[in-house]
Amino acid sequence: MKRKLFSLAAIALVIILSVSCLPHLRKAKQFYAEGQGQARAFRTEAAIASWKRALDEAGRECRRKPSAQAFTIKGLAETNLGRWRDAEASFLKAFSLGFEAGEAWASDVALAGLASSFEELGLEAPALRIYAQLIDKSDFKPVLMTAAEKRTNLVLARAVGSEPEEKARTLAGLLKALDRLLDRDFACGLYHYLHAQVDGHAGDFRRSYEEAVMARELGLPSEKIVRDNDNQLVYCYDKLMETLPAAEGETFAAAHSGWTKKWGWRDARTPAWKKE
Amino acid sequence: MGKKDVEAALGRGVDILNEFLPLKSWLYFPVLYSACVWAVRRVFDYQERILAWQVWLDPEFVRTKPDEFVLHFFSGHESLSKAYADEIGRRDLRVLRAAFPALYPIFGLEDAFLTALFKAEIEAADYRAIVVEFASRTGKARDDIQPAAANPDFWKALQLIGMEAASLGLHLLKDEDVQNMIIALVKKPAAVSPDIPPDA
Repeated sequence: MKRKLFSLAAIALVIILSVSCLPHLRKAKQFYAEGQGQARAFRTEAAIASWKRALDEAGRECRRKPSAQAFTIKGLAETNLGRWRDAEASFLKAFSLGFEAGEAWASDVALAGLASSFEELGLEAPALRIYAQLIDKSDFKPVLMTAAEKRTNLVLARAVGSEPEEKARTLAGLLKALDRLLDRDFACGLYHYLHAQVDGHAGDFRRSYEEAVMARELGLPSEKIVRDNDNQLVYCYDKLMETLPAAEGETFAAAHSGWTKKWGWRDARTPAWKKE
Repeated sequence: MGKKDVEAALGRGVDILNEFLPLKSWLYFPVLYSACVWAVRRVFDYQERILAWQVWLDPEFVRTKPDEFVLHFFSGHESLSKAYADEIGRRDLRVLRAAFPALYPIFGLEDAFLTALFKAEIEAADYRAIVVEFASRTGKARDDIQPAAANPDFWKALQLIGMEAASLGLHLLKDEDVQNMIIALVKKPAAVSPDIPPDA
């Protein structure tokens, strides 16, 4: 009887311990994911709170049972909270612990996070190299999307102040890289959005407009990007209406009107989300 | 259901915020207003995003814009085009580019929290003050909100306030009316702090 009771108590203890130990990593991921969702919906303050909780949970997991995944999530939360030095250390620790088989996604995420930390710490060249490598090698779409956006932003920031010839070369290279991404996944709205942005820098307003329409139709990852894409559509519309010959301009305006009606805009230049 | 009910719901919201953010009444308006905006847009219906085992960074919008886009943004906005008429006329992109990161999220992307945070300057058409104060005020808002933000009850309470106001007809009111209603409610309590950060 005593032995039976002891076994039952031992089982109960194991259950209690596993329940209390299990949640840290899972909770960290859960809070982190909630933060991402809140950030996508423009709820910055709520997102910060969730990332802080993710950081606490990931920190506990790192102390209790250090693993590449736990340090990756800790690094991601630190990245979003702007703690770049801590994030860099976490990602490096994740690599030193090594990723298990089937964790290629986590390794790519840690690499993207590391590049993001480098970028914020002013180390743009290594950040760009990592983003380029991820764009070529990663099969994990969220990482590909982030790397494509980050690389585009960095390259455009460099191109803005450069000489016209160098700028044209840089933009052409960027467009080639985006075309390759579109060859791999034509249905990704974000790649079309990025293409539209680079086309805008290159002064190709028609292509930029077309890519922005595709982006809107295929869907974009956050409200902020949707709004920015809408502003790009209005910008291209105005530029094209200024430059197109009258007849062509009329045809274009009619096509634009069709799209904006479909999207529920108030007029050719006012998306539904704009204040009256 | 009408303006009075919405006002009562938002009044309860102010009381609740008073518990979570004591002596931080300058934050009540941006917090409550953004909660209302998102309640109307029904993003409070967000499903629990439990992404099981995979987490990652999200892409952002492209921040680097061509000179022509920056000019188009300033000249296409009625008030900004007046405030920056000289710079637009001279194509002074040094000044316009410096102001763009602060003004584009507010007037270009219409971020509800930032719009409320800089309401006084927006109403006074003092856009240059927004540019000067943008980094420090948004940083202060982030710091001041941290203690309450770490408490999940704060967000649950805010969600309930927004949903209640939305169910009572918040969406039928003009944006301007909602803003004024919240400001009047925030100014009601005896211990009123200024509606901008004290040392901004």
